Amino acid sequence: MDGDGDAGDNGGQGDPANPAEHGGEAIRTEGLSKRFGAVRALVEVDLRVARGEVYGFLGPNGSGKTTMIRTILDEIRPTAGRAWILGRDCRRQAVEISRHIGYVPGDLALYPNLTGGDTLKFFANLRGGVDWAYVDELVQRLGADLSRKVGDLSSGNRQKIGLIQAFMNRPELLIMDEPSTGLDPLVQREFQAMVGEVAAEGRSVFLSSHTLSEVQRVADRVGIIRDGRLVAVEKLDELRAKAMRRVELELESDATADGEAEATVETDVFEAVDGVSDVSVEDHRVMLSFNGRTADLVAAVADRYGVIDINTHEADLEEVFLAFYRDDATGTVAPRERERSEA
Amino acid sequence: MLLRTVYTKAIRDRWLAMVIAVTVLALFLLYTMALYREIDLSIYTDLPESMRVLVGIAEGADAASLSYSVMLNFTAALTLAGLAISMGAASIAGEERKGTLGLLLSNPRTRSRVLVGKSASMVTLTVLGGAVLLAAGYGVPSLLEVEIGDSHVGATMVHLVLNALFYGFLATAVGAWTGNRSLASGVSGGILIVSYFAVGLLPLDPDLAGLARAFPWYYFDRSDPLVNGFGWSHLAVLGGGIVVLGALALVGVNRRDLRSRSVARTPLDQLRANPVTRAVFDRLAGSARVSRLWVKTTSEHQGLLIVTAVVMFFMMGVLLGPMYVAIEDNLVRVAGDLPEAVLAIAGGGDLGTPEGFYRIETFALSAPIAVMIVSIVIGARGLAGEEAQRTMGLLLANPIRRSTVVVQQALAMVVYAVVVGLATFGGVTVGSLISNLDLSIPAVAATSGLVTLLGLVFGALALALGAATGRVRVAVYGAVGVALASHLVNAYLPLSDRFAPYARWTPNYYYLSSDPLINGMPWAHGAVLAALVVVIVGAAVVLFNQRDIRSG
Repeated sequence: MDGDGDAGDNGGQGDPANPAEHGGEAIRTEGLSKRFGAVRALVEVDLRVARGEVYGFLGPNGSGKTTMIRTILDEIRPTAGRAWILGRDCRRQAVEISRHIGYVPGDLALYPNLTGGDTLKFFANLRGGVDWAYVDELVQRLGADLSRKVGDLSSGNRQKIGLIQAFMNRPELLIMDEPSTGLDPLVQREFQAMVGEVAAEGRSVFLSSHTLSEVQRVADRVGIIRDGRLVAVEKLDELRAKAMRRVELELESDATADGEAEATVETDVFEAVDGVSDVSVEDHRVMLSFNGRTADLVAAVADRYGVIDINTHEADLEEVFLAFYRDDATGTVAPRERERSEA
Repeated sequence: MLLRTVYTKAIRDRWLAMVIAVTVLALFLLYTMALYREIDLSIYTDLPESMRVLVGIAEGADAASLSYSVMLNFTAALTLAGLAISMGAASIAGEERKGTLGLLLSNPRTRSRVLVGKSASMVTLTVLGGAVLLAAGYGVPSLLEVEIGDSHVGATMVHLVLNALFYGFLATAVGAWTGNRSLASGVSGGILIVSYFAVGLLPLDPDLAGLARAFPWYYFDRSDPLVNGFGWSHLAVLGGGIVVLGALALVGVNRRDLRSRSVARTPLDQLRANPVTRAVFDRLAGSARVSRLWVKTTSEHQGLLIVTAVVMFFMMGVLLGPMYVAIEDNLVRVAGDLPEAVLAIAGGGDLGTPEGFYRIETFALSAPIAVMIVSIVIGARGLAGEEAQRTMGLLLANPIRRSTVVVQQALAMVVYAVVVGLATFGGVTVGSLISNLDLSIPAVAATSGLVTLLGLVFGALALALGAATGRVRVAVYGAVGVALASHLVNAYLPLSDRFAPYARWTPNYYYLSSDPLINGMPWAHGAVLAALVVVIVGAAVVLFNQRDIRSG
């Protein structure tokens, strides 16, 4: 599942007049912008999602995730730029596109007066080509209740109906905005398995979320949006590799490596090592963040302290995510540059 | 500031509707009084004393008192009562339906205190509405230099406000006991309408006249406050009723389990739950109901459609036949006494003939209102309603064009209007046949067809306003406002030779101006109304295609 398909061949600036050029991509946007009065909700977003890819779209509340989805689905119209889904123009071929996608809106609302079963039948009638045996299977897997009116269901049970309607016609692309809202952990796990199966069949998933653990489990790549700008797109494993790891060192308690008595552990020794930050000391345990080779770290401190044990924790997405949103995280790579460098 | 208490928040939520309503009423008072100034006033001096009192016209103040009796005794009274019912039904039952009452009561507020806060806001807004109308009642004639003579505007306003609050507290009490907002507004609205017609019609038969006292509306205007001033005993009945209903509401809200957020049960749901009827109605309500968007929309307001169609068929159709026969002699006498202007306000026609009776009682007001209610509800909910409940995005993510959504919602609206039109046609035809009134069935069909088209014009307008803005309130208020203006302009302009030609600029002109109940179908007029519907729905398609969908 390579990240970019044909995106990088001309610097990401394909011919907008020729949508067939983007046929290899599940989603492509070029300079997509949306203003609501004075508010710039999307700013020149260039996004590519390859076919067969699970793409995690991350961002805090109000960063533009839902606006992005609503724009590519033609619910709202861009102020500038264009978008294609499955090689088709999002504005002019919206109806054709919708034959091939499944969609779970954020803050899902369904028809309160219809039962879950009626809801699925209604959307199946609009869409056509629904295999009811598969629907039954989805109902079983998620434990959905189709007999009660949607308006009387809890939010989690309502969300299950929303998920089933999105998956039921085996769409080529699933677009989901905070899809696991309200689901219990068991159902979340089942949902993640379903996403994995979709990807295994070569279909694509665009998953907007701030449930980072979920994205971490299912996504191949993540895009991070901040204040309407796509500030980073990375393969998940590369992102982790680049990210800080937490390292915990247990030092000998009463002597340095050369046998002299050492009353306290000094943080300066650790902070002097390249790639080390956030050092804290508790008795003879040292916790720090480190971006580099572990062997170099050990070598740098071994002449001062005897190292009994060392634990490293791979950075999870939450730490990466927080790094992008810290107040001082202004030195992020510009969107287009980031896309190109990644391609 | 306005979110500090339950009372002030309820005022914040509701004040705009009241301000719009009383402003429109004040403007129409200005309009009608200005128009009546143009009319030859001698027609009033010809009225016999009994008749003058019956229609609420004060001696020596014709133009002003006629305006008051039309605008205050009828339009304003029904409007204020309707708004009070809406506030009363929303106070407890509405919060339960939305699922917000539990959260509200998790704060240090007792059920009683919430009820009292909500009721106090209803009283405040209704009194304020009455005060604005009172100011208009004195200000408008002063502005137009019209003498108001012995008209007791202040007394009328007190009757009007208490009458509205009676229905508001009735809705509050039903809502407090059941937690069912639809039931609260349905029961109160039903009693209001039945009461209004009963008090208007029962006195026509001397044997039945006494029964009118059993209906609350009797205590609003039967003491004729505009002519006689305060009717203290009648005010006491209304005030006593308010106190009793308020106390009942307090008891009701404190003694039962609160409902969590819920959706209303429709008649089809009841049949679907019944083991005997389940097999048939499960298929009807399930697979068939969701086969197309327009079919689904059609299934969503079954209660409204059934009640409206039944009322039009039986009450405004079948029952009026025997009633005409029963009171024919009185009607002929009354019709002979009434001046043309008064008849024009009631819808025109000769009250002494079966055609004139049905025209005034059924077709002039009831039938257009009935078709408009269902058309405007479907029109406003069709697009703006989908956006308000945040389902439009998901709907449009399916392979369905925006234009198809507009057309299918318009189709559902047509189905509703046609059902009410057919119920009206069927009711009037049956009423005529069982009473040997010899109404022309093709003419009844023509009039029913025209009223269906007229309602659809305003329903299409609601659809277009919803398409343009995505806001249900704009769609409803806009369409109702234009419909009211169209009716009043078409009813009153012909009274003045100077303004008469302008009536043809209203859709209502193309409904009854050719007297279709006597002359049959005016095809050109029917074509104008049909073309208006098509053009407005076309505009809705264009408007809806152009804009961003609202997210809630």
